[in-house]
Amino acid sequence: MAKPVIEVRNLGIEFYRSRRRRMSLREMVLKGQNSAPNETFWALKHITFDVARGEAVGLVGGNGSGKSTLLRMIAGVMLPDEGHATVRGRVAPLIELTGGFLGELTARENVYLAAGLHGLTKEQIDARFDEIVDFAGPQVKAGMDMPFRHFSSGMQVRIAFALITTLDQPVVLVDEVLAVGDRAFREKCYERMENMLSGGKTLFLVSHSEHDLRRFAERGLYLRSGELKGDGPIDEVIAQYNADADADAAS
Amino acid sequence: MIGVSQFRGLMANRQVLRTLVERDLRVRYAGSVLGWVWTVLDPLLMALVYFVVFTLIFTSREAGHQPYFLHLVTGLFLWQWFAQNMSETSRALLSEARLVRSANLPRELWVVRVVLAKGIEFLLTLPVIAAFTIFYMITGQTQLHWTIVFMPVALVLTFLLSVGIGMILAPVTVLVNDMARVVRIALRLGFYATPVLYSADMAPPVLQTLLAFNPMSGILELFRAGFFRGEMNLLSVTSAVVLTIVLLLVGSVVFKRLEPAVLKEI
Repeated sequence: MAKPVIEVRNLGIEFYRSRRRRMSLREMVLKGQNSAPNETFWALKHITFDVARGEAVGLVGGNGSGKSTLLRMIAGVMLPDEGHATVRGRVAPLIELTGGFLGELTARENVYLAAGLHGLTKEQIDARFDEIVDFAGPQVKAGMDMPFRHFSSGMQVRIAFALITTLDQPVVLVDEVLAVGDRAFREKCYERMENMLSGGKTLFLVSHSEHDLRRFAERGLYLRSGELKGDGPIDEVIAQYNADADADAAS
Repeated sequence: MIGVSQFRGLMANRQVLRTLVERDLRVRYAGSVLGWVWTVLDPLLMALVYFVVFTLIFTSREAGHQPYFLHLVTGLFLWQWFAQNMSETSRALLSEARLVRSANLPRELWVVRVVLAKGIEFLLTLPVIAAFTIFYMITGQTQLHWTIVFMPVALVLTFLLSVGIGMILAPVTVLVNDMARVVRIALRLGFYATPVLYSADMAPPVLQTLLAFNPMSGILELFRAGFFRGEMNLLSVTSAVVLTIVLLLVGSVVFKRLEPAVLKEI
């Protein structure tokens, strides 16, 4: 059997309970200690699973259950305190979509910059440029030489989504971004995601929308306060999550 | 070995590094027609001020190497690059927080990229130094020596030293609130603890020994060697090389150690 595309082994990450563990030199020198509370908790612990090539996995769980943290560690933009998350092949992270974009540069320059950050050469971007702009829509196309900050936030997300999904990376991570964009664009996004799936891409999706989860994912992973509680067909996992949520609401 | 794998990671992403440096320069020079002029004007005006203060007001005959204005220009230009490296690398991760959070790249890249971009800006100011040198050569006040070959060595050392210290400053600034302030003060003190305005051999012996342990002191010695006749202080040059290597290693260890904590904070 081929090696799994995503391999997560005994993954754990520890956070400080206070929002800011920022230390202050002045305090450390004057009081000899750091006033920020140093109580910690494990946001994720003992997480182990594999995702095979071409699989579509939906991650289910309440707020603060560690879904986004897990996704970030798979994307490699956060590092675990124990265990490891290995991804074989490059990742297209639909996480912080406009993260790589700069307001003062034009949309065109931004496309080249952001695609460059994801490892594309100039020639590769040249070849895909039209596809990206076409997908983002005619309003965007007309303003490609406008500073990026002059675009509306919806337009900004359109360009970013078009760009990242055009990267053609084998693994796609999606964090709640399907809720953005207007109705027409959302339909286009769905279509594109389905194309990616039928094209053999591996999809890892975080969402609170049962509709989205059922539509894209076959397998579900259920996180509850940092632990992996369920792993199975998406319908069963959603049912398990709903049962837990109802039980919590009742108690 | 630590450091080697980081270097490999950087080399694998040199295309990205190039993109980022190009972007930095574009943002800097697209914003204003005077972009380049600003880079040159600041140290040039400071050189003029110090020149007036030390030769016209204090009427010091031997403020540094002669011609003194060339001594100031060489020192201030290189110091400006170094000082900007320090203040910019300390903000390198914070100011690009969104990018750091969204792109899976070796995080050292953000430090190297700043030093590289500032380095290119510095290289673009070299013609100004060349112009002054030519002027003083024509008027017979100076001549170039073979030791000019050490100039590129000085630049490589400045680059490596900045990356080394930057890899300590960048993560620490994310975790410690008032680090940026400390860097600012340290830079201001460091300016006078470095033979920018004066030359090291004018200092009393005890201070000379102390100065030798400031890596920028030896680097400046190498940088200026070709412009001015005089013995190079071997102690300070050796210590500059050793300290640069040590700081580069310490920097890569510190960076690796703090990286997970930084990524949680940012």
